[in-house]
Amino acid sequence: MKRSIALLTLALAPSLLADPCPFAVDLISPRSAYHTASANAELVAPSATATAPGRRRPGTAPANPQGSLPRVNFIDTDLFAKMDTDGVKPTAIAGDAEFLRRVTLDLTGQIPDAATVTAFLNDTASDKRTKKIDELLASDAFNDRWTMWFGDLVQNVQVSSSGREYYIGRNVYYTFIRDSIRNAKPYDQMVRELLAGKGDSFSVGQANYWVRQIQNNGPIQDTYDNLAAHSGEKFLGQPLLCLSCHSGLGHLELVNTYLKSKTRSDFWGMAAFFATTRARPMQADPATPNIRKFDVQDLPNGAYQLNTDAGNKTPRAPVPGGSSVATAAYMFTGEKPRAGEPLRDAYGRMLTADRQFARTAVNQLWKEMFGVGLVEPLNAFDLSKLTTQPSNPALLEDLTSEFIRNGYNLRGILRTMAVSSAYQLSSVYTPGPWSETLTPYFARHYPHRLTAEGLLDAVAKATNVPVTMNVQGMGTVTRAMLLPDPLEGRRSGPGVLLDEFGRGDRDDSARTNDTSISQALALMNNTIVTTRVKRATTNSTMSKVLASTTDPGTIADQLYLATLSRKPTADERTQAINYLKSGTLATKAEDLQFVLLNQLEFLFD
Amino acid sequence: MKTKTCNDCTRGSGFPLRGDGFSRRRFLQVAGTGIVASYFADVLSPSLLRAATAGVTLRNTAKNCIFIFLAGAPSHVDTWDLKEGSWTPSDFTPDTYAGGNIRFPRGLMPQTATHIDKLAFVRSGLAWAAVHQLGQAWAQIARNPGGATGAIAPHIGAVVSLESQAARTVSDVLPGFIALNSPAIPTSGYLPAKYAPFGVTTASTGLATLSHPDGATRFTDRWNFLHQLDANRHSGALGKASMDMNDFYDQSKALMDTPGINNFFSFTDADHAKYGSSDFGDSLIVARNLVGSRRGTRFVQATLNGWDHHDGIYDKPANGVNSLYTQSAMFDPAFGALLTDLAATPGSASGKTLLDETLVVVLGEFGRTTGALNNQGGRDHYLRMSMVFAGGGVRGGRALGKTDANGASAVDYGWSQERDIRPEDVTCTIYSALGIDYTTVRTDDPLGRGFEYVPFAKDGTYKPIEELW
Repeated sequence: MKRSIALLTLALAPSLLADPCPFAVDLISPRSAYHTASANAELVAPSATATAPGRRRPGTAPANPQGSLPRVNFIDTDLFAKMDTDGVKPTAIAGDAEFLRRVTLDLTGQIPDAATVTAFLNDTASDKRTKKIDELLASDAFNDRWTMWFGDLVQNVQVSSSGREYYIGRNVYYTFIRDSIRNAKPYDQMVRELLAGKGDSFSVGQANYWVRQIQNNGPIQDTYDNLAAHSGEKFLGQPLLCLSCHSGLGHLELVNTYLKSKTRSDFWGMAAFFATTRARPMQADPATPNIRKFDVQDLPNGAYQLNTDAGNKTPRAPVPGGSSVATAAYMFTGEKPRAGEPLRDAYGRMLTADRQFARTAVNQLWKEMFGVGLVEPLNAFDLSKLTTQPSNPALLEDLTSEFIRNGYNLRGILRTMAVSSAYQLSSVYTPGPWSETLTPYFARHYPHRLTAEGLLDAVAKATNVPVTMNVQGMGTVTRAMLLPDPLEGRRSGPGVLLDEFGRGDRDDSARTNDTSISQALALMNNTIVTTRVKRATTNSTMSKVLASTTDPGTIADQLYLATLSRKPTADERTQAINYLKSGTLATKAEDLQFVLLNQLEFLFD
Repeated sequence: MKTKTCNDCTRGSGFPLRGDGFSRRRFLQVAGTGIVASYFADVLSPSLLRAATAGVTLRNTAKNCIFIFLAGAPSHVDTWDLKEGSWTPSDFTPDTYAGGNIRFPRGLMPQTATHIDKLAFVRSGLAWAAVHQLGQAWAQIARNPGGATGAIAPHIGAVVSLESQAARTVSDVLPGFIALNSPAIPTSGYLPAKYAPFGVTTASTGLATLSHPDGATRFTDRWNFLHQLDANRHSGALGKASMDMNDFYDQSKALMDTPGINNFFSFTDADHAKYGSSDFGDSLIVARNLVGSRRGTRFVQATLNGWDHHDGIYDKPANGVNSLYTQSAMFDPAFGALLTDLAATPGSASGKTLLDETLVVVLGEFGRTTGALNNQGGRDHYLRMSMVFAGGGVRGGRALGKTDANGASAVDYGWSQERDIRPEDVTCTIYSALGIDYTTVRTDDPLGRGFEYVPFAKDGTYKPIEELW
C-alpha cells in the first residue's frame, strides 16, 4: 500500500483503494445549476406558499384585462397554447413601471434612474416599450451586463483551482468578450474563436479559453478532458465530464438516458480535438519570474494517448485490440475533421453547427430573462427527451430555430424574448390563487433575487453614491457590473456585499441567488448601505431631494422613484407622508429610503 | 513575506473572503408573517435519507468541533512528526514526551508542548493532492473537488450544521457553522444556504453588523416602518425565495435582539494577549466563546494561512519574514490557550469539561518534503502529512502511526485499517465523534445519484480513526 511520492507534483494516487469510481467526475462548475435544480424541485411540488394575489407593486395596475393578451410572436403562441391545453390562465401584462425596472435590470443589470422612470411613465407612445427595449439593447450597459454573463459561462478568472490566467490574461480575455458583445459578433463565431484561440495569453484574449482549463495536477489528457467537458457542458448543455472517467452504461441511467449509451471512447473522441495543441509556459517579464503566460499553438501533430494511470481520472488504456490513441470524432454525429483542417477549427465548426449548440444557448438566455430555464439544470439536457424534458418543447425548438435564423444574434434573440407578452406579464397572479406548479408555464413573471453585482449597483444608483473599486490592470471601476472577475472588488470595500450575495468565484463556488442571514444583516447594518441614505453624504439622492423640497409627498414620490423605480400607491404615499411628518423631516426621509432599500421588492425582480 | 517560488501558492492579493453566505432558519419562530411553509423538508423528512447504517457504531462523544485549518501546509517533520537531523535548528529544543513516545520541538511551540497529554498525533496521514486549492477543498469537503459530487459538495461544517438543526431550540440563535477569519472556504454546496458557514472577520468589538450603525432606537423605528410598509412581507406575493429572505430578516433581528450575543464575538485585550495577539489567536478566542455559548453553534472553523515554506523555513523572525518561527508564534500561544480554557470550562454534562465535549482537529492540506532542506532553505509540497486531534473523548499523549526515518512513508499505519489515513477518514472521525452517521447517503441531491457524506464510506472504504478513543 505504500506509495512513492513525487515532489511538488500531481499525486492523485489512482485506484489505491477499492473505490468503484474514486475520481468520478461529472460537471465543471455547476453549483448554480444544481441550486436551480433544487429550486425547481420546490417549484413543481405543490406548495404551501400560495400567495394572496394582487399585493405586489400596488402602483402598477394591470394594463390589459385578462384573456386579451396579444400574441406578439411565437413565444406567446407556444406558451399560451400550452396554458390553454392544460387549463392554466396567465396573469395580466405588467404595468409600465414594473416592466421598465425588469427589462432594464435584465438587459443592462441596472435599475432605471428616477428621471428615466418618470419619462417612461409620461410617454404616451403606443410603442414605447419596444423603443425602450431597443434603446437598452443599444446601450453600453448592455455590453457590461452580458460580458459578465459570458465571463461566468467561460469562467474567466485570474486564478482557479486548475488553470491560472493571471490578471493580465483575465483582462485581455475580458476585453475580447466585451468587444465581441459590443460589436455584435455572432455568438457561434465567438465560440469558434474561443475554441480555437491561439497565441500569447497575455495579448490574445481568446487564448485564455485554453489556459483556464489547464489541469496542473495531472497529465495533459486531463486538460484535453477539461476542454471537452467544459465546452460540452456550457455550449452543448450536457454533463460530458461523466464520460471522462467511465462510460454511460451502468452509471447514467438515472441521470441522462441519452448519455447512458455513450462511452468513454466517445468522449475521448471529443477531447482528441484538443490533442494537437500545446500551451507553452513563458516568462512574462524577467522582473516578475512568478508570472507565467502561455503561448497556445496548434502543432502539426500530436495525439490523445491512452496511456495514463495517474492524475484526476481513472486510468486511460486502449480498448482490447484497439488503438493506443483516441481519434478525433464529434461524438454526436461521428463526424471527423476534414483533411488538413486544424482539429480545434473542426471541433468549433461541428459544435456550433450542432442544433444543440443553439438550443443550449437559448435555454441559458431564457433563464436570464425569465428566471427559470426551459430545461433545468442548464447543463443536463437529455437528447433522448427533447420532446418531454423541456417545460415547453415547442417553444424551445422555435427559439432555437429563431436563434439560428437570425445568425446567432444575441441582441436579436433577447429582443424577441423581451417584446413578447409572456415576458411582460406581471409578477402578480390575478386569475386565482398562485401555485408554484404554475411556474413552468410562465403564467406570471417569476421574481428572482438580483445578482450580487446587480444589487450593489442598485443600492449605489438608488442613493446616487457610486461604489469605487480598484481592478488590477484596469484602474478604478464605479459599478460592480464592470468587474472583470469575482476576485476583484475587495472584501475590505463594497466587495463584501458582492460576496454576501453569492457572486461565486467562477471556479468551485458558482454564482447563487440564495438568501441568507448575512445578506439581511448587510442590508440593514452595513455602513455601505446606511451611509448612502444620509443627507450628509455628498451628492446622495437624499441630499438632492432634501435640497429641492420640504414637501413630504414630493419627498415620498422621489424616493420611491429613485429606489423602487415606481411611484408610491395612494396608500403607500399616505403612510410615507405620515411617517415623514412624525419626526425631523431629514431623519425620517433617510429612514424612508432605508426602508425602501430593504423592501423585498428592491431585492427581487 | 518572502517571494514564493510556487506558482500555485497564492491566489492573488485581491482574493476576497468568501463563503460566508450563511443562512439559517429558526423554524419555531416565524415572526409576524403568518407564512409557514414546509421549510424543513430537507432536514425532517426521513424519506430524503437512506443511511447504510448496518453495523455502524458512532462515537457520539462530542457536541462541538473546532476545525483548525493550517492553510499552506505546515511541515509535518518539523512539528507533529518531528524528524531530527543536521537541519534541525538547535532552538527547536526537542524534548521527549508521553513516556518516551513523542519527540516534540518544545522550543518552537512551547505552549503546545505543555498540552501533549491532550493531543493525539496521527502520523500516517496522506493527502491526495499536493496542490493547494485542490488539497484545501479536499480536506474540507471530504472528496475530490473535481470528482462526481465535488461541485455540489457542502463543507463538512455545513453537514454538521444540517445534522444539528433538528435539535435546535428557540434559544439557539447562533448559526450552526461559523467560520472565523477563514476566507475562501467551501460553502453549503447543494444544501440550503442556511447551512453555509457564517463568515466572521474577528474584531475585539465583535460583529459590526449585529448592531445598527445609526443606533438601536432608530433601528427599531426603521424596522417597524419596514414591516408596516412592505406588503410583500405579509402577502408572500413575490414567492418562496422572497419569504425565505423575509425569514432571514427575522432571524437577523433575533440575533441583534438577543442580549449578549455580540459578547461571543468580542474579546478583551487580556484574552487577545493571552492568545498571542494575532488574528488567528482572536479567532480561537471567539471559537472558545462560541462552543461555550450553547447557543446553537456546533462547528467552528479557524484558519491560519501562511505555512507554504518553500524557502527560508527556518528564518528567524524579522521584518517581512514568514517562516516556521513566525507561523508558530501565531499558532502556539493561541492553540495552547484554547486547550487550557476549554479544559478549564465545565461542559454541559456533569463532570465533563468543554474540551471533553469539543473535538479539536488541526490539519493542513498536505505535508512538506522531508530530510534536508531544499536549495532555497525550504520544504516543498509533499503528500505525507500529520493531523492532530484533541478533546471530544480523544485520548491524548499518543502518536498513531509511524513514518520512516525521514518522515516520508508510513512504516506503521497505527490503526486497524492498515493503510494511510486520508482526509476522508478524518471526516468520518469528525462525524462519528459528533454522532453523525458518516455512511449517510442523501437522496435529495440534484444529480440524483445519491450524495454520500463521505464517498464510499458506506462500502467501508473510509472509516473513523477509532484508535483515537
